[in-house]
Amino acid sequence: MKRPKLVELVLQNLLRKPATIQYPREKTPVEEDSRGIQYADLTKCTGCTLCALECPADAIKMTPIPQGYEIPAKNPKKIYPLIDYLKCVFCYRCVKICPVNAFIVTSKYDIAGPIQINSEEYSLSTVKKVSG
Amino acid sequence: MVCNMTVTKVVEIPLVTTEVPIGPQHPALHEPLLLKVYADGEEVVKVEVNTGYNHRGVEKLCEKNTFYRDIFIAGRVCGICNTVHANCYVRALEYLLDIKPNNRARYLRVLAMELERIHSHMIINAIMAEIVGFETLFMQIMLDRERVMKAKEILTGNRVLGDYMMIGGVRRDIDEVKRARIRDLLVKLKPRIEFYKKVFEEDETIIKRLVEVGLLKPVDVTSHSLVGPVARGSGVRIDSRASDKYDAYDEIPFNVITRTEGDSWARMMVRWDETLEALNMCLYILEKLPADGNPVPDEKRLPRVIPQGESYARVEAQRGELTYYVMSDGKSTYPYRVKIRTPSFNNIINSAFMYVGLSLADVPVALTSLDPCISCMERVIVIDLEKNTKYKLTLKELAGGRV
Repeated sequence: MKRPKLVELVLQNLLRKPATIQYPREKTPVEEDSRGIQYADLTKCTGCTLCALECPADAIKMTPIPQGYEIPAKNPKKIYPLIDYLKCVFCYRCVKICPVNAFIVTSKYDIAGPIQINSEEYSLSTVKKVSG
Repeated sequence: MVCNMTVTKVVEIPLVTTEVPIGPQHPALHEPLLLKVYADGEEVVKVEVNTGYNHRGVEKLCEKNTFYRDIFIAGRVCGICNTVHANCYVRALEYLLDIKPNNRARYLRVLAMELERIHSHMIINAIMAEIVGFETLFMQIMLDRERVMKAKEILTGNRVLGDYMMIGGVRRDIDEVKRARIRDLLVKLKPRIEFYKKVFEEDETIIKRLVEVGLLKPVDVTSHSLVGPVARGSGVRIDSRASDKYDAYDEIPFNVITRTEGDSWARMMVRWDETLEALNMCLYILEKLPADGNPVPDEKRLPRVIPQGESYARVEAQRGELTYYVMSDGKSTYPYRVKIRTPSFNNIINSAFMYVGLSLADVPVALTSLDPCISCMERVIVIDLEKNTKYKLTLKELAGGRV
């Protein structure tokens, strides 16, 4: 029986650079349009809560926009979808179902960390702060 | 009303044997399953399959969520076969709604499912290599599996959980650049798979551990309703892709692979041949992808309420035939009932007879050759509502009276 040339393969691999990626120090390359974190653009959001109803993981909670932000007139309830990224399954159902296409999508995936992560900062950065 | 749930298990323990529990922590794969092995010396006399460590109540969860939320829940029944689960559920809904996706969508669905088949078969072969103590090969196969994962990421937007299926089509289209990139990855992968197949055919270690271990006769396969590569490894030609011709399987040429040996080795070889077959199918799809309109339906315009009726869809998952039964009462946006029957449910619970006569060291090998997927299969609840009656659920009943 002829043996396969696995030994040769192992020797070849010794000369190659490692296939493993030292993850937190070195980022894993992902596609530009892979499903990373998503957040609502508050200039477009109407606060209709459809995304919160449709979310399969119940990760979206409609939250009042805090004081001191310029709230567009088309958002009468003054609420926005707050996404809990630790619950989110990144299926992008909210992105696809949004009637006004208010979601901004990114390919950012490294969200693990010691603090609770949600879309508050990202979403509020889309609207202007009112001075005073 | 008094609910009285009594389950008594009747197990005949052979005399003069030692009971060796294999599992529930990772008997072969990293999944919870307990094989209670009764051994006479090294020889296995009887095996009792104990499940229930991973019951998550997915069917009940589906009833509590809307039809559309269930598409994503169905995809999360099992990680490795997520697109087939979602495809089966979505097709069950499409039958009720009488919606037909266009050709491009049908082809893209098959592409996603076949990419998944390639990576699933590669991972089980890699795990088999690890089980027989061939860890170098495990690492090699897993390294090449990354190419398929990348192809899947390009296609669906995620390495593992595709969330690719939607009623009336798929959730994202593919352009020429992506097509060329996926084709590139697959063309590079093909010689590697051929090489691994050769290793499994010729390597002494693998042959010594796999050949004539866990023999299954064709008559045993049909009488115990085993499905998928397990049945095809014993020469039973059963494949829902060929018999149902759902999605685009009626237009894409492929062969149903069968082998007559019926041992663990034959099952693994069926998987390698199917991997090659799936690869050819993917290349065919990428070459001849029809362009008859947009495959991505507008999710905002899809009907919210599904008409009243029952629907039953089946799909050939990587491990065998997977079926979904969906019932809608026509009034609400919630399904009345969703029943899932996965291939591992048949393959693992019904195959306890296979281990008899093996040596103890061969039990993990035989189990791995069945490609168990525990998270898929755990959905048995026995509820006895009658008062003061004992309901006995024996292993014999679970296996259809043939153990």
